[in-house]
Amino acid sequence: NVPETKVTTLENGLRVASEDSGLSTCTVGLWIDAGSRYENQRNNGTAHFLEHMAFKGTRKRSQLDLELEIENMGAHLNAYTSREQTVYYAKAFSKDLPRAVEILADIIQNSTLGEAEIERERGVILREMQEVETNLQEVVFDYLHATAYQSTALGRTILGPTENIKTINRGDLVEYITTHYKGPRIVLAAAGGVSHRDLIDLAKYHFGKLPGRYVGEAPALPPCHFTGSEIRVRDDKMPLAHIALAMEAVGWSHPDTIPLMVANTLIGNWDRSFGGGVNLSSKLAQMACQGNLCHSFQSFNTCYTDTGLWGLYMVCEPGTIGDMMHYTQMEWMSLCTSVTEAEVARAKNLLKTNMLLHLDGSTPICEDIGRQMLCYSRRIPLHELEARIDAIDATTIKDVCTKYIYNKAPAIAAVGPIEQLPDYNQLRSGLFWMRS
Amino acid sequence: MHDTFAFITQVWCRFGIAAYRKYSSGGGYPNISLSAPLPGIPKPVFASVDGQEKYETKITTLENGLKVASQNKFGQFCTVGSKKTSIFSQYGSKDEILLTLEKHGGICDCQTSRDTTMYAVSAEVKGLDTVVSLLSDAVLQPRLLDDEIEMTRMAVRFELEDLNMRPDPEPLLTEMIHAAAYRGNTVGLPRFCPVENIEKIDKKVLHKYLCNYYVPERMVLAGVGIEHEQLVDCARKYLLNVKPAWGISTPANVDMSVAQYTGGIVKIEKDMSDVSLGPTPIPELTHIMIGLESCSFLEEDFIPFAVLNMMMGGGGSFSAGGPGKGMFTRLYLNVLNRHHWMYNATSYHHSYEDSGLLCIHASADPRQVREMVEIITKEFIQMTGTAGEMELERAKTQLKSMLMMNLESRPVIFEDVGRQVLSTGKRKLPHELCELISNVTASDIKRVTTKMLRSKPAVAALGDLTELPSYEHIQTALSSKAFR
Repeated sequence: NVPETKVTTLENGLRVASEDSGLSTCTVGLWIDAGSRYENQRNNGTAHFLEHMAFKGTRKRSQLDLELEIENMGAHLNAYTSREQTVYYAKAFSKDLPRAVEILADIIQNSTLGEAEIERERGVILREMQEVETNLQEVVFDYLHATAYQSTALGRTILGPTENIKTINRGDLVEYITTHYKGPRIVLAAAGGVSHRDLIDLAKYHFGKLPGRYVGEAPALPPCHFTGSEIRVRDDKMPLAHIALAMEAVGWSHPDTIPLMVANTLIGNWDRSFGGGVNLSSKLAQMACQGNLCHSFQSFNTCYTDTGLWGLYMVCEPGTIGDMMHYTQMEWMSLCTSVTEAEVARAKNLLKTNMLLHLDGSTPICEDIGRQMLCYSRRIPLHELEARIDAIDATTIKDVCTKYIYNKAPAIAAVGPIEQLPDYNQLRSGLFWMRS
Repeated sequence: MHDTFAFITQVWCRFGIAAYRKYSSGGGYPNISLSAPLPGIPKPVFASVDGQEKYETKITTLENGLKVASQNKFGQFCTVGSKKTSIFSQYGSKDEILLTLEKHGGICDCQTSRDTTMYAVSAEVKGLDTVVSLLSDAVLQPRLLDDEIEMTRMAVRFELEDLNMRPDPEPLLTEMIHAAAYRGNTVGLPRFCPVENIEKIDKKVLHKYLCNYYVPERMVLAGVGIEHEQLVDCARKYLLNVKPAWGISTPANVDMSVAQYTGGIVKIEKDMSDVSLGPTPIPELTHIMIGLESCSFLEEDFIPFAVLNMMMGGGGSFSAGGPGKGMFTRLYLNVLNRHHWMYNATSYHHSYEDSGLLCIHASADPRQVREMVEIITKEFIQMTGTAGEMELERAKTQLKSMLMMNLESRPVIFEDVGRQVLSTGKRKLPHELCELISNVTASDIKRVTTKMLRSKPAVAALGDLTELPSYEHIQTALSSKAFR
């Protein structure tokens, strides 16, 4: 019993999707089917650079005008780039929705991309890169992509290498916009206090001129493939080891995504402040806690259009890496062979609750709408998602996990004091069981 | 702390089960792309919306003093989905250890701050009875088995370890400035359990604490999205005439003291030259926080202080986020944009039932601490000048939007209901608060800041403190009229 998500497609292919919950505030944004995956070795980093330039002034407003206007409205403007999507969104009072949409339209269609601003932004992005490098989880996931998708576009980082940040020029930015920012690849999503009818009118008015068709071929999704492999960056001066172990899973819309999410929930997340005991639903968490095996772990399922990474990220003291890996793989094997109905039922409930609790407030809802419109070309109604989860039983989990985990080659990324991390072949052989 | 819920299922199955059986009679999980609708699912009934933000909060006080508050029909899941129920109980800022205690089947979500503890459960409306009984159990009948307590000790130890390892010094500084501002009393006592106390806390200590503070007059049962009468009935059933696990002995030595603002300084000399956990170095910084007494959230001046805090704003010199993060607040315009060597300048406002603290956190290279302190004291003094019309309007709009945006979230509404009812016995609705904000004038700001500047400063300093001026120096600087 949630408000309906209404979807309308404009003549140029731009999709408008919104959910009205009658609040006095709202989130509205543009979800664009373009990210670093569409870049090549030379221009890798362009999508992200472009995101930075969006707030640097348009033909209508200078950077200062834009900043003052947003701040005086009590609104927020933000943007982010991922490997497959670029997002620009605003949070504002519902009464300011028209102005928010106009500003979004302005920054993606009329950005000046001034040479001086481009030069200035190089420094900012290089500084951001330093910041990212202090976040070890991000570092490990970049390595994980680099090895798992080696020599393909998903293996590259979002920020791009330093050389590119120093050389990307106005031409690259303009070319990226003209190639990718086209009607059919853009979703205008909104949630909170928003009237769908008003939103359509605003979209027609402000985005009507956005090109819909490609002259010639539309750019194809660059093919990416998974390679079981590893990257190790040993640094014994660091106090803790940061390790990700991942299998190739499936893309967004593949039906097996949902059983894999239940499998993720079965493995769970944990950090030392959770405590332990019989109340933890995850067996791995119980073992980690009793054996003091790690500081934290979290299971992940990162999806792209046609592939995905399913695995576990862990932070351990150097002496417990071997044990932690061993128990992780044991748990994975038990997902493939012996997980019980009761465990699966508990995980299903937990997954449903977490999904529900996550959709709290206009920004997470808007984000969900935008992402799903790009991934599925629709928003999956909650009750359908529920039905899909309900349809899963222990057999489904065993079948699906066997398909993607059992006796498959993993991708591994490890940073820190990792002398004790078993060698690749040993870890590979932890992914099957010899039985008589 | 973390939360784990296991309660929501029923609702969701309503659409699902029959359809799925029909569908999956062939066996196995449906092999249908997520891009296509799953066949055989009934059309859902969608909710429509109305002006729910203006609904009043209903409040009933039971015979034993416990208050029951409900906010009817909020939120999109109100008729079928997740509901939250929470019990707030006054917490005299003793030991956070309590918070990890009762985890009956992992249904509770429980948080402790300096002055309150909250237990929350999410569940569907039909489960209300069970939920309230569980909450009553968790709060009034904790088992406190030895191994549970041991587990908790371990978790608390790890939490402390993490607190000291984290590169972000903000939680530690907040802890320090409270200790400086309220020396040895109430909210100045540590929120985190001191290491030497972990072992000392046992079942007896906990029972004594619970006996003194977990009394009906100090509790609120709050519900969002629930019929008020229903909630009151449940409260009567499970929270009235119930004998708690620690018996009904009369509370003894209840700490009824009000927060005494003292001012003062707390210093921690610490080598911050290598706080990075990875190979990429983080520059060495010294952190200072300077605060002055503001007011309690019960006073009228609370609103002007909140506006002032918004007007000061600030943040990191390199923080993520686009326009809207407060780029035209004073700490950006006057401090970060002018002194590029400063890494951070952020204003915070902590307010409690009996006192409050407005403070500014700043960080820079240890060699520039003296200059940094000077810049921050100057900002404090300039607060008493006349606020510009533009900046005041902006701060008021931003405060209102922050309020309304925070209240989009159900747990926040919830906490707001509980907290307000616990301390005032009623709830000011969001639009009423917005009106109060709109009415704040430049002379209100001037009035409250002039009063604030008369208090003794509270100072917290962390890192290499060689260049730190003396407390007396800071105090004198704050009372000088040189900048006014």
